[in-house]
This record gives sequence, C-alpha cells and structure tokens, in this order.
Amino acid sequence: MTAIQSRPGAPWVGQGIDRVDGPHKVTGTAPYASDVTMAGMLHAVVVTSTIAAGTITKIDTSALLTLPGVRAVFTHENFPRLNTPPVIPFGDTPVAPLQDGRIAFHGQEIALVVADTPQQATEAARLVEVVYAPEPALLDPADGRPEPLSYLPDTHRGDTEAGWAIADVRVGASYRTAENTNNPLGLMGCVAAWDGDHLEMHDTTQWPIALRQTLAAVFGVPESGVRVHVPYLGGGFGAGLNQWAYKLLAAGAARALGRPVKLMLTRPQMFRLVGHRPDSEHQVRLGAARDGTLTMIEHRATSLSSLDHPAVGLLTAGTPQVYACPNVATVERTVRLNRRYPASMRAPGEAEGNWALETALDELAYELGMDPLELRLRNVSSVVHPPSGLPWSSNALVECCKVGAEVFGWSRRDPRPSSMREDGLLIGWGMAAAFYGAYLAMSRARVTVYADGTAAVRAAATDIGTGTYTVITQLAADLLGLSPHQVDFQLGDSDLPAAAQSGGSGLASSLSNAVIDAVTHLHGELLDLVGEGSPLYGLRPDDVVCRDGALCRRDDPATQESIADLLAGQGLLEASGDGRVRLPDPATAGMCHAGGFGARYVEVAIDPMIGRLRVRRVVSVTDAGRVLNPKLARSQILGATVGGIGMALFEETLTDPDTGRVANGTFGDYLLAVSADVPDVEVIFVGEPDRFTPAGTKGVGEIGLVGVPAAIGNAVFHATGRRLRSLPITVDQLVM
Amino acid sequence: MRAFVYDCPDAVDEAVASVAADPQAAFLAGGTTQLDLMKDGVWTPDRLVDISRLPLRGILVESQQLKVGALTTMEQLAAEPVVAQRLMFVREALLAGATVQLRNMATIGGNLLQRTRCRYFRDPTVSACNRRSPDSGCAAVDGVARMHAVLGVDERCIALHASDVAVPLLAVDSTVLVSGPTGQRRVPLSEFWVRADEGPSIENVLGHGDLITEIDVPLLPNGWRSGYLKVRDRASYEFALTSAAVALQMDGDMIADLRIALGGVGSVPWRAREAEEMLRGTHVDPVRFEQAGRAVMASAFTVPGTAFKVDLAVRTLSRQLLTMTEATP
Repeated sequence: MTAIQSRPGAPWVGQGIDRVDGPHKVTGTAPYASDVTMAGMLHAVVVTSTIAAGTITKIDTSALLTLPGVRAVFTHENFPRLNTPPVIPFGDTPVAPLQDGRIAFHGQEIALVVADTPQQATEAARLVEVVYAPEPALLDPADGRPEPLSYLPDTHRGDTEAGWAIADVRVGASYRTAENTNNPLGLMGCVAAWDGDHLEMHDTTQWPIALRQTLAAVFGVPESGVRVHVPYLGGGFGAGLNQWAYKLLAAGAARALGRPVKLMLTRPQMFRLVGHRPDSEHQVRLGAARDGTLTMIEHRATSLSSLDHPAVGLLTAGTPQVYACPNVATVERTVRLNRRYPASMRAPGEAEGNWALETALDELAYELGMDPLELRLRNVSSVVHPPSGLPWSSNALVECCKVGAEVFGWSRRDPRPSSMREDGLLIGWGMAAAFYGAYLAMSRARVTVYADGTAAVRAAATDIGTGTYTVITQLAADLLGLSPHQVDFQLGDSDLPAAAQSGGSGLASSLSNAVIDAVTHLHGELLDLVGEGSPLYGLRPDDVVCRDGALCRRDDPATQESIADLLAGQGLLEASGDGRVRLPDPATAGMCHAGGFGARYVEVAIDPMIGRLRVRRVVSVTDAGRVLNPKLARSQILGATVGGIGMALFEETLTDPDTGRVANGTFGDYLLAVSADVPDVEVIFVGEPDRFTPAGTKGVGEIGLVGVPAAIGNAVFHATGRRLRSLPITVDQLVM
Repeated sequence: MRAFVYDCPDAVDEAVASVAADPQAAFLAGGTTQLDLMKDGVWTPDRLVDISRLPLRGILVESQQLKVGALTTMEQLAAEPVVAQRLMFVREALLAGATVQLRNMATIGGNLLQRTRCRYFRDPTVSACNRRSPDSGCAAVDGVARMHAVLGVDERCIALHASDVAVPLLAVDSTVLVSGPTGQRRVPLSEFWVRADEGPSIENVLGHGDLITEIDVPLLPNGWRSGYLKVRDRASYEFALTSAAVALQMDGDMIADLRIALGGVGSVPWRAREAEEMLRGTHVDPVRFEQAGRAVMASAFTVPGTAFKVDLAVRTLSRQLLTMTEATP
C-alpha cells in the first residue's frame, strides 16, 4: 500500500464506513433490472416441463396467440437457432434453450410466452399444452455412473494405507449434505433490447463480462456491440455466476420480435433454473497416533449433477491443505442424473467438504479422548502449505482457534456428552476449523482524476451486497489522497474495463490489485505532463503520490505540482491510468497464496423431549488478511453464519423420487433460517495483511459459512451423544 | 390474464345472495390463503365477493363467552384482554400462528377455512390430488411428505389442516354462526370440518353460499389454566409439525377437568377426547400422560415422511400436560 496517510480521516481502508450505495438503496433510487422499462417493451414468461426425461412430440400454441396481449409463443420449433454457448471457467454454461424437443430435467425451459403485460404472459403460459414421449428418467443417485471431475483431479500424497496401518486410533464414516438452493432476495431476470447487431441487457449477473462474451458468441455478433448493465442486483450467493438460459431466451425473443423483452423468473423457477448446491456424500477415514498426530486422511466424495452440466464439485479441494498430515488422498466424483443444473452456492464444495472433514475430526477427538481444539492445534500446518511445500503467504488459523476459544470460554467445557445441562435442556459446545482457498482472477480497472479535484474508478465489476462499491472507494481515496466522497466508483457496466466476477471471494482482492496498478499508471500519465523545470521532472511512477489534488514527491510531499495545472498545461480535462491484476507465480514468489482461515464455536440448547434445538451462541473468528472495511466484513460473516445455520438445520431442496419435480420450491416450504433462529453472533477478525498481493486481502464472502455446520453438528453430539452425519439436522432426529 | 368479477357488498344478505347465485363465485376475506391459491392457479373463481365491508368485525365480551365477528383479525383477537385472562391458549396459538403482517390481514373466519398447505395440492401441474380433483389419486402419499397429517387420513389423501388457533378454539367447544341461502344456523366446530378419510374433496359442512358470520368462543371458567405448545423446525414462520392445546383445572395434585386438542397431525383440528377421559380425575403422572397421547395416536396412518409425527405428537402433548399441571394458576 503506497498511500501517504497523513490526511484528516485517512487512511480510509480499515475503517468501517457506511456503504456508499446505502442511501440509494434505502431511498429506492438504486436501479435494479426489475425496475427497467423501455418504450415498446414486452414481457416474457418461461414455460417449464412437467416430466424429467423424454421428448416433446407436440406443443400446440396456436390458440394462445388469440389471447389478449399475447404477441408470440416460442418453442423449440420456432425459436431462433443459437450457437453453442462458450465454456467459461467456474461458469459452466447450460445448453442453449429451445433448440430441440429433448427434456433433461423436470422444470426445464420448453417454451416462452411474450405478451404486453406480465399478467397476460403468465396466464397464457399456464395454458400451453404439451404432449411428451416420456422416457425412464435417471433420478436415483444409486443408478448414476460416477465420473471424475475435469478440473479437480484426485490427489495423493504419501501412502494412506500405510498411514492407516500405523494409526493407533482410526475413524471412518459417511456424511451427507442436502441440496440447498441459492435464494437471493432479488428474483433473477433481465431486459434485452437490440439495435441491429447491438444488444443491451440489463441483468442480475454477478459476472457482466462473461455474460457479454456468452451473448456475443451465442448470437454471433461482435463482443464490442454487446453491453450488459448490472449496477445493482438483489444478491446472488453464486446464482448469478452462470449464463442461464433465461438470458438467452429474452435476448432471442427480443431479436426475433424487434422489441425489448423483459423476463423475470418467479420464486419457484428460482428453485429450478438458476442453480443450487447439489446433494453430496462423503466417506472420510482418519488415522492418528495416540498423541493425536494425524497419520492419514482419506476423503472420497460424490455430488449430483445434471445430464448436460459437468459439475460444481470442490468438495475435497480444501481437505489436503490445512493439516500437516503426510498421507492424504482425495477422490471426487460427480453423478449425472435427470436433474436441474447445480451451480455455485456460497462456499461451494468447501462448505460441504468441511462439514465432513471437521465432523470426522471431532469423532477422532472423542476416540482419542482429546479435546477437539487440541486435536486441531496439534495438526494445523501453519507455516507450510502441505501440498506444495511452500510457505503460506499468511496463516493465522492457530490464532483463530485460540482467540475463539478464549472468547467463547471453551476451557470451561466438560467434554463428556450430555454433561452440561440447564433447566432440563441439554447444552452442547462444538467447534470446527475453516479454510477457504485463495482466488484471484484477471481484472482491469481505470482510475481517472479530473481538473476539479475529484476522481473516478471504473471497472465492470458487480456489488452483490458485499460492499464492492464501498471498499474500492475507500482504497482509491487512500491511493489518491482524497476523501471517499471525492471518489466515484462506477461498476456494473460491461463497457467499463473488464473485471472479475463476484465469486470465489476473489473480487475485492482482484479489483483492489488492479486499482493499485492503475494508480501507478496514473502517476506515469501525470508525470508525462510535467515540464522540464518542475521539481518532479524525471521522477518515476513509484517516486510520486497523489494527494489533495496534487502530484507529490513520495519522500518529500511538499514538493508537488497541482494536478489541475498539469492538465491545463496540456489542454487536458482529465488523466487516467489503466491497471490490471498482476499475478505472481507462487513458485517464483516463494510462497503459497493463502486463502481465508477461521474457527467457529457454537453453543446449542436442545430440549430432548420434543427435539427442539436452538443455536444460542456463535463465536466466529476469521483470518481474512487485510480487512478493508470491518463493518461490511462483519456483515459478510454474519450473513454467512445465517447461511451456515440454515445449511445445518433447515435448508433442503427436495425432489419427488418418481417424477424429479422439486417438491418444496417456495418460501413456505423451503426453510431458511429466520431472525428468531439466529442468536447473537460474535465476529472477530485476526491475522495480518496477506503478503502475496499488494492489497493484502484474502476474501471474506464465503469463509464465514465454512465450519458453521460442523460446529453445530459437533455441538449436537456434545449435547446429546448422538452423532448425526446427515444435514439438515431436524427435530425428528433429536427427540430423546 | 384471467378475468373475474369483483363485488364488494355492504350487507350479509347481499353477499350471500351474490355467491349463491353464481356457482363459480366465492367469498374473499383477508385473502392470505385465497390469493396465493389464485396466483398458483389452483383456485380459479369467476366472481370474488369481497366481504371486508360487512359489519362482521369486532369482539363482544359476554360473561361466559366471546362473540367474535368473522372478520375480526387474528391480531385483534390476540390483543383482546379477556383472551389473555381466560383463553391463554387461544392467544398463544394466534401469536405462534402467523407473523404480525399476516395476523393483521387474516381473519378468524378465514383461518378456520384455510386450505391445506400440501405442496401437491398447491401445484396444478401435479395431476394426482383427490382433494383438488376427485378420484385422481394422491401424489403426496408416494411423494415428499413431512408437513402432512397422520390422523383422519388414509391413502387417498394426507392433507393437513395447518391452523393453530383452530386447535384451542375446538378444545373449548366453539361454535360458528353460518348465514346461507336457506337462513342462519349454528354449527359446533366439532362438527364443522370433514376428515380427509371421510371424503378427501370435501373439507367442511358449508354449502355454496354459506358464510361464517360469527364464532362463539366459550370462556374457560375461572381457575382453569391453558397453554399452546407448537413444535416446528425453525423458531418462527412455520406451520406446526405437532402442537398441543391443553386447558385444565387442578384440584390439588389431581386433574379435575381438562380439554385437549392437537394440531399438526390431523386432516382436521383434532380433539383428543380419549386422552381427556383417561386423564380426567387422575393424579399427575407422566407415564399416564404418555399413554393418553398414545391412545390418541393409535389410529395414525403414516407414510415414511410422517412416521415421526406419532411419537412427536405424544411427546408434545406430554410436555404440555406437564407444563400445565406444574404451572401455578
């Protein structure tokens, strides 16, 4: 970090300032895709299949065109032919919709009704008559064929069988997690409008650049002519990472009809058409010496996928990385079924894999007669990243564990199950460690300073509620020697410099490093304006900083030139610097780029007579590297904790075994944690800025969820003596 | 867009006549069930007769009973001081039954008439639903069942009546006053609902054009205590997995008299008369409480997803009996 921090109020980074976009949101002036209207705009509603496998033999829509307001009905027989969507990393694209009559899952898009109003389209969509030739659907995971994942190979180090053989204590068990559905408050949808070969789309994507790329390829138009707008979206949790079919449907219909088309999904459609966290099964074996030193870890996992979608996976990605065990093997498979597309959901894979591993470690601790915290501390590899042998760029997991234990009061825990009681309730204390891998993606950013002393940062990023607007504004204010109100961060427009997705907890890290690079280039641009007589003449970009509208010598800030004068001298009104993420090679850098670490401590109270469980206390300690804004980072951990409670106790998207239909796709039937389920959560950050990148951040969006389900499950065991290995843990499993 | 006629009459007779004259007409009160059903395409009336302007709002407190206008909201009834004094389990069921937003819209008459939350019933793309379409089958029996009934059901339909407040209202022998095309009549709640195993497509004894105008709720005598226990997965905003409404009068450590009804288990709110008879005049005995619960649940029809409810209902009742018998009046 290169800013001079002597200004009043600075440094802004590290301060918990309010969201800069907050006033827009609370006054209703923030524009969302659902708010967009255009002259001549039509409304589209998706019709979905009522079988899971087969083909459409007849779909009669002629009668619908006589209904009031109905402008068009598209099916596979008349929808424009589309090019195959490109493959995008972590954003695997579903097959193009309405290209043939094949049905691959219950609830698949099979027709699109376009009308003058959403109500007219909704009613007509209800009346579409379809005749199917059903085929036997592959619905039972036991019937599916496990396949390796293309991007997550099996891993081996050492010899796990030897590690098993020499172990003094061994545990092995199967664990299961349920399908969970991303449920951002904002329904996903878009408005598509064409002008010749130019397409504008207002959407709810978390990744505008990937959507631009997909739309251009699918419709065979230049990428330069496709523009995606997403200044605001109502959350995402990963559901906005993929280039879902609804976007292609709206764009295809708009092109065919020559009018703008708006398409908003319904809540039940959100359970079918924008991804989910798939069900997973895990077999974990652990061996340890009598003193608790791990001798082997084996983690085999399987998740479900759809016929046309490779997988999400990452169930085992974190398993080899945290503990200094010499013998580790991970094997991960996916099983394709006639099911809807899975996708990323907050801490995809890691949340599930951590549940299995950290529950197994708790079982091992009990087999050893050892404190679960002590077992973690004995095995954490805090200096070296075990798979690569390189030093971690940062790792405060031990501190997370110790600080959490201190704040929670862990030393007062009686380890015997069912030993802590209170007014007829069984009290359980559980803990789990957490890890979420580092992720940096290519991002560009442009920083511009103006003659009036203000500045702008521009990048085609999104703020899904995480605080991107705010933290980049803070960072730029420090780098430019300005106050946040003098900096305007513009995002959510694919015509801005290309930026990474809001995903993998990587956007803040990626973007901040691009902004730092852009400011260095801005220094170069400004130095290029300096005349020969200036005391700044001949300095290099790293020798200067911007401060209060002046370009200053870094080592002597009083030596400076007014930026307004520099611009005026050349007849300019602004100067810009473009930057991008510069990714060091870990081997050359001599370190492994670390992700976030954490420790979760949970207290549950269980009424054994009626199986009622309440989470009473959570202490969540996280090493996220540099925390750009502690208020917003705390909000991220709080929200993720709520998600973790939901995953542990409530959330389960159920599928009818015979038909493949989503059985509970509404907010009345699919249970999310409500406020009354969430206790006081103590959020603590520890650790130091990460040394791998200049910004020092490690991401805070997902790590907060990881570890919460295992800590809850481990607390349930402590309370009841009952080891529950399948999520969600519900009332009927807890009556005693 | 599906068109329908909307009427908003001022008088009960007018409203009744309006619905009675049109086989596709229906009353609309708070709308917290009906509008959902219309949006889901499950229920498609051609004429909605909005009764919100009828003079059926308010609570008349008499010495032995409450006369509750059918349009009284859940919130209004919960806030009535006499309910807190003499019908605590009604108040508790109301507060546990819905969020404050819903309580301010939903009416007591409408609450008694709420339709089942069965997701198969509420999805018109599911063809097998004997409740919606007689003799079409029951997708829930072979499907994903959890929020379903185990009493008063069979393989033809396992729809649950999910009301909370109906459970204590039944326990105190409330009566509804009905205005219909043929005049007024009084129906005890114990005879109001029709069990699914007595005909899955018929939910209650109301005929077309019949309108509940009032619910008469007897007050518990002085010296009685009552309470409502609701067991559910999450802490709020969910229907009961099981619930128990218990009112009783103690005589020393003996249960002099009591009333019990169960929720979350029946195709109709379930009066547990067997349990009342087993426990009336007996001493406080947890083993006997459990036996009484088992007697009520003996006739349960379960599917894999609902089997847990039998034991949970027994536990819920036992716990509430323990709480009520231990409490100081």
